[in-house]
Amino acid sequence: MNSKQKYVIVVALVLIATALILWIANGGEILSKDGIWVEQPMTELDKALGQKPKLEFVEQFTLGLLPHIAVFVGGVVFISAALFFIFKTKKEKDIK
Amino acid sequence: MKKIIQTFTLVLVAITISVAQGFKVKATGEKTFNFEDKKGGSQVSFFSTTPLEDVTGISNAITGKVTFKVDDIKTLKGSISVPVASLKTGIDLRDEHMKSENWMDAENYPDITFVIKNVSDVKIETDNRLQAKVTGDFTTHGVTKEIVVPVTLTYLDESEQTKQRAPGDLLGVQATFNITLSEYDVENMVIGQKMAEDVKITVNIVGSSSM
Repeated sequence: MNSKQKYVIVVALVLIATALILWIANGGEILSKDGIWVEQPMTELDKALGQKPKLEFVEQFTLGLLPHIAVFVGGVVFISAALFFIFKTKKEKDIK
Repeated sequence: MKKIIQTFTLVLVAITISVAQGFKVKATGEKTFNFEDKKGGSQVSFFSTTPLEDVTGISNAITGKVTFKVDDIKTLKGSISVPVASLKTGIDLRDEHMKSENWMDAENYPDITFVIKNVSDVKIETDNRLQAKVTGDFTTHGVTKEIVVPVTLTYLDESEQTKQRAPGDLLGVQATFNITLSEYDVENMVIGQKMAEDVKITVNIVGSSSM
């Protein structure tokens, strides 16, 4: 393994680790979401009518493992593997 | 003999009145409440939890009418409907899957309905609020099953406060119950078990006597 290959592995690991930290920081959801359900504040009339809080969809992106993190990590692994192979080939050519 | 018949009649009337359980409000007689709310203030929601994700969905397009004698809730009759096409989960693609032929089949079975058959176990909370168990036919995906739904009913006579919502007297209905999808031939496997077998349904609806 030459220095370029080591550099590729380190960069790939840093990118994957960063993506996983971001994923955990966003709540560690399995699936990405475009929004969340929040309870609407109840009016006095709602309370008088014995109602429970109603739900409202609020647009708020949540980064999930699928598909965003998985696609990113897959892409990093694929590109790293390709670069690893390219750099290895170049080294063998240089020796010849 | 005449006195015996009169006494018997009076006792019978007294028993009927004491057995009748309903609201003690200003309104009297039979009332019909319409639950169609164009402002979307009423809501039916469902919740499903699986290891993969929790799914919440709502509909604000509730329709239906109920009729009952104000002082006797056991006379309650009517039905409530929710169009399948109105269900929203927050993810458009999932909504499309849900309405598709493979799942809820909104085209062939456009409505989820509950038709009231009878009322039992009435518990008076306050003069204008009571709890009861409502037995009825629940239909979804073309399959009808009799279920018992515990409900809380709240009656509000028309006032300046109620007019903010709708004209006429208001009836608030709050209920929470579970249904098992497979009992209604809904194959949750089709969408990769993203929905649990048991789905919790919450009803928060308000009907008006003048709509």
